Amino acid sequence: MQSLRQSSIEGVLLSLSSVVILLASFACLGSKLFNRYVAYYGLQSIVLSIATAIVAFHYDSAALWALAGLTFGLKGIAIPTATRRLLLRRLDMKRDVALSTGLSTALIIGALLTAFAYLTVSSRALPSGLVASSVVPLAMAVVLLGGLAMVVRRHTVAQLIGWLITENGVFLGAITLVATFPFIVEAGIFLDLVAAVLIMLVFVSGITRRLASATSTELRELHG
Amino acid sequence: MIGLVALVALLPLLGAVFAAAGARARLAGTAMVIGGVGSLLAAIALAVWVVRHGHFEAMSGFVYVDALGSFFTVTIAIVVVLAGLASIAYLRTEEERGDLSTFQVRLYNVFFSLFAAGMMGAFLTGNLGLLWVLIEASTLASAVLVGLEAHQRSLEAAWKYVIVSSFGVTIALVATLFLFYSGAALHLTSAERLTWPYLFLHAHGLAPASVRLAFLLSVVGYGTKVGLVPMHTWLPDAHSEAPSPASAMLSAALLNTGMYAIIRFLAITKVAIGALFPDNVLLIFGFLSITIGVLFMVQRGNFKRLFAYSSIEHMGIVAVALGFGGLLGLYGALLQILCHALGKTVLFLSSGHLVLGYRTRQVSEVRGVLGTLPLAGGALLLASLAVAGTPPFGVFLSELTIVRAGFSTTPLLGGLMLLLLAVGFVALIGSTLHMASGEGPPSAVAYAHPSARVIAALPLAGGLVVLALLGVWVPSALNEILLHAIRAIS
Repeated sequence: MQSLRQSSIEGVLLSLSSVVILLASFACLGSKLFNRYVAYYGLQSIVLSIATAIVAFHYDSAALWALAGLTFGLKGIAIPTATRRLLLRRLDMKRDVALSTGLSTALIIGALLTAFAYLTVSSRALPSGLVASSVVPLAMAVVLLGGLAMVVRRHTVAQLIGWLITENGVFLGAITLVATFPFIVEAGIFLDLVAAVLIMLVFVSGITRRLASATSTELRELHG
Repeated sequence: MIGLVALVALLPLLGAVFAAAGARARLAGTAMVIGGVGSLLAAIALAVWVVRHGHFEAMSGFVYVDALGSFFTVTIAIVVVLAGLASIAYLRTEEERGDLSTFQVRLYNVFFSLFAAGMMGAFLTGNLGLLWVLIEASTLASAVLVGLEAHQRSLEAAWKYVIVSSFGVTIALVATLFLFYSGAALHLTSAERLTWPYLFLHAHGLAPASVRLAFLLSVVGYGTKVGLVPMHTWLPDAHSEAPSPASAMLSAALLNTGMYAIIRFLAITKVAIGALFPDNVLLIFGFLSITIGVLFMVQRGNFKRLFAYSSIEHMGIVAVALGFGGLLGLYGALLQILCHALGKTVLFLSSGHLVLGYRTRQVSEVRGVLGTLPLAGGALLLASLAVAGTPPFGVFLSELTIVRAGFSTTPLLGGLMLLLLAVGFVALIGSTLHMASGEGPPSAVAYAHPSARVIAALPLAGGLVVLALLGVWVPSALNEILLHAIRAIS
């Protein structure tokens, strides 16, 4: 089993899809409509499933193919659809106005975080020449951007999407860095993810019904 | 053997099965306690086996039990039994008062059992990926318990808890990833490269830069679950808004599960890159946690938050003890985990009596508990003395061991810790004395039914007796398993 090299066709395709994944997280950070968040997350997940399929093709591994299918079905289709149906449409959510910084500031911080991810990850633990050395910093950047989206956006739905983006980043790092965990573990991670999204959807709709808008600015009762 | 392991992990699910099948709350609760007791007995049997025969491994490391794991299973199983007993009485009272619907009680029983089983499973696997999956699963199950009462405050707490913890645990997944990657040069299968005993055995061959990154990320990630400062923000909210028996589970069981994961990473890291870096990381996070925990304990607000900050302090103490290292430090850390778990369970369960009896969570509004609710008042006072580290209770012994470990490595840090412990003592005892003494309201009833009163009294008394026993006498079996656990990780 040989590692993915940067110059191979699979390597180039993988780098390309990881760039699209990064752009999708920037797009999510920069938009203000709930529908868009969900759409960009869905797009990102579908590209991620393509990236997984590329790695699966390279290693010719059934577990990775299964993973690509799971990513496409669950993250690309099921989670976005469920979020739209159960949350946005039923509770009639449209625009998110609760930002703790300006939009442009958030994007600039996002750019800085991307640079930070490159500086800290690429020079250290990764061997040069492998595709991992260009993709893992991007994956790290996606992790950080997801975290940033959770911090600057105060609406619970936006925080949920931010966490999902972070998770996508970890997943991208995982498939390029180590190809795959044992399949049982991967399946367990997916199970947790689905359970987490379901529980969070219940909480968000519960919070929204009690408050006029479910921004965390109004979640202020507990402090000290 | 594999049957015994399965019993430990699956028996707590008995309550969930009954509750999901539509059994009434009392039957489901009884099943929960019976499952818990069975799991505890199996865990003790497993611990005895492990001490006699070393570790047990099956299914290519997905099942792996050593002394450290079985020490934690016994500790958590005790907490599950005590909190399960208290749940029966607490839920019955809340349901009769109309604070919880039958459906909510059923949800509680299902998710309490899932929560318990998830944690027990986490100690019985050697696969770090599966460990992650089970810890995240227990987070999700406990989030339902936190948000159970479904009013604005508890939903807020539950949201904060689930989003902060999930993010933190995702960081821990990155840590697992880097640890997995650090073994790329080893000739191991991919399942073995994620399995703790193999990683520990080959720790010298791991790539140092990745291990260092993995350890730091694991402390940040699993540290979110432990409640290490500054990742602790969810902790006081979740502990104060959950039903009291669930708070006891969070504080005494869940935090320890996170600490267990950190100990596993620590053991590998110490062999791979030396003790200096991981020790310093733990000392920094530990002292920060003790300091912030103690400072927030000084204010007199919500008593469940007070106990939650005390948990942050104690998890900080455990982290510092791990950072001091050596036989004394590790022994102190493990003993502290056990004693804190017992003391904090009793403390949170007695806070359940106060919440039901006084219908408030404010320290200032609670007076004269010793007079109005003598049992809860006595337990409150004794348990807070125990948790604060007064002899003859177990925490005194473990904290003494840890301070001794501190003085034998860096006397300055030992002294600093002693000072912080003293402040924490005054803060905790000041508030509980205020609540226990004085003129109380003439009628405050926590549990209306005599049978509920008996069931609610059992875990308080049981926990206190064990705690007092541990202070004067560490049984040779416990001593044995602690030493075996330390040998397993060093």
